[in-house]
Formats: sequence, C-alpha cells, structure tokens
Amino acid sequence: MENVTCTIDGVRVEVPRGTRIIEAAEGAGIGIAHYCYHPALSAPAMCRMCLVEIEGAPKLVPACVTTVADGQSILTESEKAREARQGTLEFYLANHPLDCPICDKSGECRLQDFVHAEGRRHGRSVEAKRVLGQDDFGGDILYDGDRCIMCTRCVRFTREISGSNALGVVQRGDRSVIDTFFDHGTEGDPFAGNVVDICPVGALLSKDFLHKARVWDLDGNPSICPNCSQGCNIRVDSRDNLIVRLRPRPNPDVNSYWMCDYGRRRYEWMNVADRFETPLLRDEAGELAAAGWQTSILELVAELKPLLGTEVVLIGSASMSNEDNGLALRLARAIGETKAVFRSPRAESETVCPGFPKLARRKDLAGNVRGLEILGFRRVGDDDAKGGLPATAGRIVIALGDSLADADDGFGNDAALFVSLGITRSPANLRARYVLPVATFAETDGTFTNFEGRVQRLWPARSAPAGARPAWQICGVLMAGIDADSAPADAARAFLSLVELNAGFGELSWDIIGSRGAMLPEPSLLETAEIG
Amino acid sequence: MNEKTPLAANPGWAGETGDFSQLTEEEVRGTTFVGRRPPDGGAPAGACSYPYQLARRSPDAPLFEGPYAERLDKIRSRYPDRRGALLPVLNLAQEVRGHVSAETMERVAEILDLPPAVVRGVASFYTMYNTRPVGRYLIQVCTNVACNLCGADDVAEAFLEHTGTGAGETSSDGMFTVIEAECLGACGFPTAVQINERYFENVSADDVPGILDRLRMEWSTREGSD
Amino acid sequence: MAYPWRDERETRVLSEHFGDPAARTLEGWKARGGYKALVRALELGPERIVEDVKASGLRGRGGAGFPTGVKWSFMPKDDRRKPHYLLINADESEPGAFKDRELCRWTPHQLIEGALIGAFAMRASHVYIYMRGEFFEPAQIVARAIEEVYAAGLAGADVMGSGQAIDVTLHLGAGAYICGEETALMNSLEGRRGQPRIKPPFPAAAGVFGQPTTINNVETLCAVPHIINRGAEWYRSMGTDKSPGTKLFNMSGHLVRRGNFEFPLGFNLKELIYDVCGGIRDGRSLKAVIPGGSSVPILAADEIDIALDYESVAKAGSMLGTASVIVMDDQTNMVKQVRRIVEFYAHESCGQCTPCREGTAWMVRILRRIEAGRAARSDIDTLISLGKNMIGTTICVLSDSAAAPVHSSIAKFPAEYDALLRQDEPVMATA
Repeated sequence: MENVTCTIDGVRVEVPRGTRIIEAAEGAGIGIAHYCYHPALSAPAMCRMCLVEIEGAPKLVPACVTTVADGQSILTESEKAREARQGTLEFYLANHPLDCPICDKSGECRLQDFVHAEGRRHGRSVEAKRVLGQDDFGGDILYDGDRCIMCTRCVRFTREISGSNALGVVQRGDRSVIDTFFDHGTEGDPFAGNVVDICPVGALLSKDFLHKARVWDLDGNPSICPNCSQGCNIRVDSRDNLIVRLRPRPNPDVNSYWMCDYGRRRYEWMNVADRFETPLLRDEAGELAAAGWQTSILELVAELKPLLGTEVVLIGSASMSNEDNGLALRLARAIGETKAVFRSPRAESETVCPGFPKLARRKDLAGNVRGLEILGFRRVGDDDAKGGLPATAGRIVIALGDSLADADDGFGNDAALFVSLGITRSPANLRARYVLPVATFAETDGTFTNFEGRVQRLWPARSAPAGARPAWQICGVLMAGIDADSAPADAARAFLSLVELNAGFGELSWDIIGSRGAMLPEPSLLETAEIG
Repeated sequence: MNEKTPLAANPGWAGETGDFSQLTEEEVRGTTFVGRRPPDGGAPAGACSYPYQLARRSPDAPLFEGPYAERLDKIRSRYPDRRGALLPVLNLAQEVRGHVSAETMERVAEILDLPPAVVRGVASFYTMYNTRPVGRYLIQVCTNVACNLCGADDVAEAFLEHTGTGAGETSSDGMFTVIEAECLGACGFPTAVQINERYFENVSADDVPGILDRLRMEWSTREGSD
Repeated sequence: MAYPWRDERETRVLSEHFGDPAARTLEGWKARGGYKALVRALELGPERIVEDVKASGLRGRGGAGFPTGVKWSFMPKDDRRKPHYLLINADESEPGAFKDRELCRWTPHQLIEGALIGAFAMRASHVYIYMRGEFFEPAQIVARAIEEVYAAGLAGADVMGSGQAIDVTLHLGAGAYICGEETALMNSLEGRRGQPRIKPPFPAAAGVFGQPTTINNVETLCAVPHIINRGAEWYRSMGTDKSPGTKLFNMSGHLVRRGNFEFPLGFNLKELIYDVCGGIRDGRSLKAVIPGGSSVPILAADEIDIALDYESVAKAGSMLGTASVIVMDDQTNMVKQVRRIVEFYAHESCGQCTPCREGTAWMVRILRRIEAGRAARSDIDTLISLGKNMIGTTICVLSDSAAAPVHSSIAKFPAEYDALLRQDEPVMATA
C-alpha cells in the first residue's frame, strides 16, 4: 500500500493513498467541521461544511470525499475556507428555529458548536422562518422538521446499516423533510434509536429522554451493555446518581458506532430503589436485623469454619462481572466441592444488524453469560431463567445478585447455611441467614466476557448504596477469613487471580484489555475451563 | 404585451406557424404520424413513453390488469435494475388512476420490490406526480421569464377567472385544475400552456374562453362510456 | 429552415426539414438522405468515428460546450465486459430553450441516427432517451420513429447486419429541471430522486447503473450524421475556430419574430435581434438580453454587439449556454423578471446542498420584498453576499445559475432596484 504525503495547515501528514482529507486531518489532530459525513456511512458531500482549500486550486473541495494527493498543501483555515463555512452556517441559521432553550440537543449540538466557534455575530435574515412542522415517527423517535439541517445521516443509516429503509427524504428544495412512509413508523427497525445519536442537531429526539435532563448536568461513564451477550460498548449517562440514558461507544470490533434498541431502553432496572442497604443477620429471635460489615464478616467466617468441606451450591449471576462471579467461585471451592450454576433468559432468535453483521441482539439476554461459562459455571433452567436449581439440603448455598428472583420463600430452608450476596429484596433472598448487599455491574469496576470471548471492561456509572460492597471484595475478605488465600486489594488484582488459576483467560490483564477489550485465547472460545 | 395571434395562424393553438401557414394542427402535433398507440405498450422500446396526464382515468382500477399488465412487463424488460422502472411504473399508475396516492405508492413498491419509503421519496420529488386528484383537465400555465415577458400572468388570471377556481384548485364541476408551471420548453410561442398531454401555444387572455369551450366539447364527445 | 420563420441567410443543417411533416417518417427521412451516415459509420468503425467527431470540433449543445469527440473518447475502448450506455439528454427545461423539442418533433430520425452512430462509436449497447415528462407530444413522435427503426433492423439485436446490438429506449421524466444535469439525469433514470452526484466518479468510468456512460444533448447528436456524411472539414468551415458548426438560436421575448433560427456560431447578436428577428415589437426599444438561457448573466442593451460563440460571449461577461436568447424591451420590470427567475431556481433546487437549498429560497424572499417596496439598501448588499456564497460551493451549478441574474441585474440596472428601496430599514417581513 503506497503512501502519499501532504501538508494540512502546515502540518506534514503521511497517509495511505486513497485516504480522504477529513480522515487524514483527523489523524493529524485537525478536526474539520462536518455534518453529513459519518465514518460508518456513505459520504454524499452535500452539507458543504467541510469545504477546504487546496493551495493553487480554484475551487474549494469537500474534505469528506476528496482523497489526498501527493504534495498537496491543504488549508482548512484559509480565508476562503472560513468564509465558505461561515456562509454555510448562516444559510443553516436563516431558518433554524431559536429553540436552544427548549431543545434537548443543547450542549451536544454541532450547530451550536460550530456557530459558536466561527459563525457570524448577527444573522442577516429578516424573513419569517420557514415552518415544516414536527412529526412522531413512531417507536421512540420524534422529528422536528424545522430544526432539521437535511444532512440525511438518518436516512442513510436506515438504508445502509439497519436495512429498514424506514426513513426517506420527501419533497425537494427547501420544502424537503425527512419522513417515514406515511403512517408506517420506525417501530419495525430494531436499531432505530441510533438515528437520534447521529443527528447533529435536535431534529431527531428520543421520547424516552425528552426534557429529562440537560446534557451538561450528566455524568458519562464507559461501560458494557448488560442486556445481551453482544457486549456493545456503551456510555452510561447519569444525573444525581440516576441513570437516564445509554448510548453506544464506538468499537470497530464489536458494535461499530451502534447499539440496538432492546439494549438501549433497558436501563431502568439499574435505578431500582428497593435495595439492600446494609448487611442483615439473624438476631436471637431469628429475624433479619441490620448489622455492620465487621460484625457480619466475623460472624459469617465463624459459622463457615466448622462447615469447611461441606458441598456448596453457588448460584451465579450473568448480570454481574467476571471478578464478582469468579471470586465467589473461588470462595465456594475453598469451602468445599461446588455445584456452580447460573440461569439466564434466552430469546428465540437473534437480531442481526444487516449493515454491520458483527453486531446483533444475541439470544442470551445478559451481558456475562459466556464469562460465567468460561469461569466454570454450568447453565441450568429454562429460557425464562426459571427452574433448574440444584437441591440445597445439607449444603451451603451462596446466591449472587438477583439470581433467585423466581424462587419461593421456602428456598434454602434445608440448607446448612444460606448466604445471599443480594441486590434487591425478594422472598428467597429474605430467607437467607446472611444478606450481604452488593453493587450492580453499573456500580463497580469489572469485566464482562461477550458471546465471542471478548473480555471488556466496565467502569462504574453510579454509586452503590453506602452499605453495599463489590461482591469480589466480600468474597476475597471471606476467603482470607477462612485462611484460604489473601483478599485481592482491587478488582484488577481480583481479575489477575482468576487468570492465574484459569487457563481459559490466557495471559490477559486489565492493562491488555484496556478500553477496547481483548479476546480470550482460542480454546476458551469453544470450551469451558475449570478453575483449579 | 402580446399581439393577439389570429386563429388562422394558430391552428388549434398548436402555435404560431409563421411562414408555414399551410400546416394543419395534426401536422404540427404529429398526431397522424403517431397514430394509435395500443394500451399494451406496443413495441417494448416505446413502452415507457405514454402520456400519463389523461382526462379519462379510473382511480380505483387495480394495478395492473389486462393490457396494462403487459405494458408493465415490457417496461420492466428495458432496465437492468428493477429500480430503473420506477418512474415509468409511477407514470403508468398515474395514467390509469389519475393521481399517485399513498396506496398507489405502496402497490408500486410491492410490484417492484422496493421499500415504500423509497417510492414515496421518489414520487414526492417530481412535480408531475399528482399526489391528490386533479380535474379532468390539468391546465398548467407557464409563467417563467420568456412567457412572463409576453403576458403569462394575464393568461393565468384569465384561466382562473373563466374556470372559476383558485390557483391550484379544481373547479366545482371537476373539469379543470389551474396551476402555474415552470418553463415548458416552448418559449418561442408564448404564452405556453400545457393541458393534459397537449401544449397550447401562443395563448393570450382572449383565447382562454375558446380553449375551455373546446375542452368541454372534447369531453362531451369523447368515444366510449365513462 | 428553422421554425416558424424562414430567413434566407440561415445555414440550414439541423433545421432543414423543420415544418415538413413528411420528414418524420423513416421513409421520408431516408428520401431526404437519412441513414446514409449510419451505413458509412458502420464501415468506418468506432475509432474513426470518434476521430472525425473530434476533428470537427463539435461542442456539446446542452450548455457546457464541452468538446463532444473528447467526451466520447473517455469511454473505455476495451471489451464488452461492462455494458456501455449512451444517454440522450432531452430534458430541455432551461427557461428560453426550445430547440430540442423542435428537433424531436420535426426530425426524430435525425436524432435517432445520431444516437445510433454515437452508440456504435462508444460501443454502447443501450441508448436511453431521457425526455422531460411534459414533452408528451414529441415523445409520441419519437416513440413511433423508434418503432419504425426497430422494424427496419436499424436498431435491435443486430444493427444492419453489423453484429452490433444497440437497443433504444425512450424514458419519460416527471417534472424536474435538475434532471437536465447529467449526473442527476443518471440518478433519475435509475429510479432515484433526481439529485446530482459528486464527481469523481465520472460518468465514463462509472455512470448509470454503475457502468461507463456518456450523456449527450439532443442537438449535439443531431449534428453527428451530418459530420459523418460531409466530413469534419466541412463542419469546421462554418462557425469560428474554437466554436465550429451551426447552432439553433432560440429567440424569445419581445421580438417581432420569435422561434428557432439556425446560423453558424459567431453570428452577431445585434444582427440576429434586429435583422433576422425584426427587432423589438410594438415599436419599443431594447433594454436587456439574456444570451444563453436564464442561467447566464444578463447583458445590457449596449452590450449586444458581440459574436455568438462560446469565447466571445464569455469575454462579454456572460455565457452562450444553450443560445437561448431572451429579449426584453424598455418597459420590462427587471426586478420582477429576476424575482421570477430566482423563484424558478428555488422551486427546482433538489435540496441537497445547503447554499442552494437555503440560498435560493432566501433570495426569493428578499426579491419579493424589494419588488413590493419593503426592502432597504442592506438587502441589496445581502443579495450580493448570498450570491457569492452560492457560487462554486455546491455539487452542481444550479445555485451559481440563481446568482447570475441577481448579480448581473444589480450591477447593470441599479436604478431599477434603487427606485424600489425604502430609505428606512424595514422592521420585519412576512413569508
């Protein structure tokens, strides 16, 4: 592959032949303002924002489609280029409504951004603005034709990526609007929500997010979608510790720039309020009463020690991290022979994204199903995640997270000891002898392993209740308490402890996983490995 | 200002014949040469070229039956990609039904195996697809510059007055819809007016009642039942 | 002779048989010398035909004036792996132009013969004639002529026994001026919205249906049989060195005689208006002339003593374009006509590019206010500035075409604008 060299604003840049100016500039840290261009979509070069000057050439060229030629001097900030951009921005503003005070996109709007950077101080239009109206596109999508800048990213998305062809341009000239086919909505498109992300302005809005929060009040944190085993990289936006929306984070190996609507809209459960806030132990009357951590750990360790050697039933949670489930498994095996199981719902089919087939809403409807399999958990129960639990008589039962949602309040009555590392109150959880509140995946550092064996990191997006702890931490401390091993000091070391014991993880570490994830070594992709 | 063109030099409003005053209307319009083009499309090479703004139409006719189904196949055979047939098939649908409704668009999408939103995007782009029913005679008056200089505004006014309609609307008897059109490509014969599949040229405001009478007469003496 | 007025000074090549109904039929056209060029072309072979057309200096008659032979030479000469297409642009919608309609309705076989020769020269297996939807009557005539041609074996699976297959299809548009732009025409033929494409890729590399394509204007192809019959030298003997050949001049507006007139390129505009067309009707005087269709800058009355060829008109600050001469007398309201022209562009804009979509509509609003006496000097400055932002910044030149009459009329008829301006700034506008 041959390289060409050029200068962009005086910066010398060398790129493979065929690279477009906008890509070459980005590689050199020079951002060129644009609307209709998107790296994952076709480039129509119609917004005319990215016009740049090639020294010596009479006409400005669009950087999004023009490839770099050897020896070119490209100027993005020349007077001609800046005047053209300013002129184009003025054309947009001539009819764009002054909706910023009521528009959800404010704060992450690229019209605002570019006008603020280099727009004219005053608009020269004294004409009444054109009114095209608003429309409900069905599903979660609202459309405001007055705000629309006709970049057609949304149309190209439904044509090239989701394949639904739900959206199109209707009419021509300054009467153009985006619309569906009359009353056909976007509900039939499982990836429709992405058009709201890629709309540069507030023309396409999510009804779910409508008027919920100002974007500058949001905290955004990287994580992995927990709603199926695809492992889409996401950003979790929260305000005042409430999660308000999920959006995709780009990862060319997993989900490109997209996520599906099934995953996108399932975040309310992360905000559930009915949580265990403190450890609970049985008092003299046998009732569950709040206690401190130190007391709880000491008492539990004291109960465990004489029971070492008893069989353990460990019920894992595919909505919790490798570190959480892995350390629980280590603890269980340190106690005695362990039946490690988990249940997880399964859909009948997967929904593949036609334009990026690596991405699909997978059949397994939880984020860490493969992770548990590789750790050594056995899958039981039906496609609704019900049934299949092993017998508990005379055994120690440890249940992780909300894995007992379907069990009745007789569950574990015959167990030697029942410990719930629980999240929300349920009849079964409340039968435990010890309830130790844990953090959800959204509240801890950790990793998920996706359907194809890619291990990816999560970062906390909100704080757990003050009394909750990460499950890996609790299990580590308990292991130390029964003299099985020392407790890992942090989640990264917890992960390393799994790597040491499980050939399935190869040579991975959090450093290697980084923010893009890393694949497990080959054999792990096919079989489950046993922890020693 | 336009000199009133005497009828003798404007055979059937087929335009100024200048030094060719011996020509009849049929000779100027070429109707004798064209003859009768069969509804099944005749030779496939010309299947895509039938007038599709007709006085006679059936808004509820199925798409497509009988000779029109044959013509559809001929149209489809002329394009390497099924999408290429979209404009001709929309033309054919309007020829049959008189306008292109949402239901018509959906049917065309089905026939050509295209997404309905794509068909809507295409149909709404082009001016000649009537998205709502129009009068028996769609009267399009060119008011672009070359005709505008020669009194096109007066001609448009005259049509509105003598049909008793508003701009873009249909007369109460359902006979006429009057709209302004862009350049019709007959600039040497101002004012040019397109009425369904024919051009009426060198039209002055005084000619308008005569034209409307002629159209009414044609409609009432048309062959076959409605 | 051109239609409807004969002038003995005309050089009648394309328009010889205008007004002669018997010339429409295949037999009639053959009797008038038709299809001899096709026979000769099949003998000469593709390379030689392209050379002859190149040597003749024929330039595209659709407005751009690009040398036709050079355009034909861009087509791949290799083999038939990729089907080649010849598209005929019969989407004549430029205000002022009405020559292609005349060629189609009087001499359909002249066009078809030129198309078959061009298809043969470019190894095109299919010719599409893209005709604007409003041209129902010419379409019927051309369709009938195509039928005759198929029946006579001049088109179809084996053209005149040459072994070459050339199909011809007539395709009607549906009302969009922008489909006269060659890449928009390709999109429209493909069943898409008629939006121009970015270049590269160029049509000869990847055009309609992704295959090598050439698009030619009707008038351009009609000249081809004559060049084949009579030779490049003969064609060059007419017109000027850089603009050889004859042209159908479309004369409209306030003239005594309007219509098509055929003269060699380089004919004098003043002579055309006053001698050939009889001057301004009703005893009035000339105010302005648009020499090449509404997309080109307007000339004032004292600028018309120029030769009508591509170079001379460009030197005079305008463009020859389609040679559609619109003549305006001293009673013309220039602001009104410019407003109407810009309304046309706003209506026809496809809407892709921001400067065109927004700029044409904005200009219309300002011009309406000026015409209604509700504008101020700053609005003139705004118009000029908007126009500058609409030139050279878009995928196609429709927005440039909208700016041309605005800029030229403000420059040359400032008094007409000034008379309408208010001295105080207008407060607000209505739609």
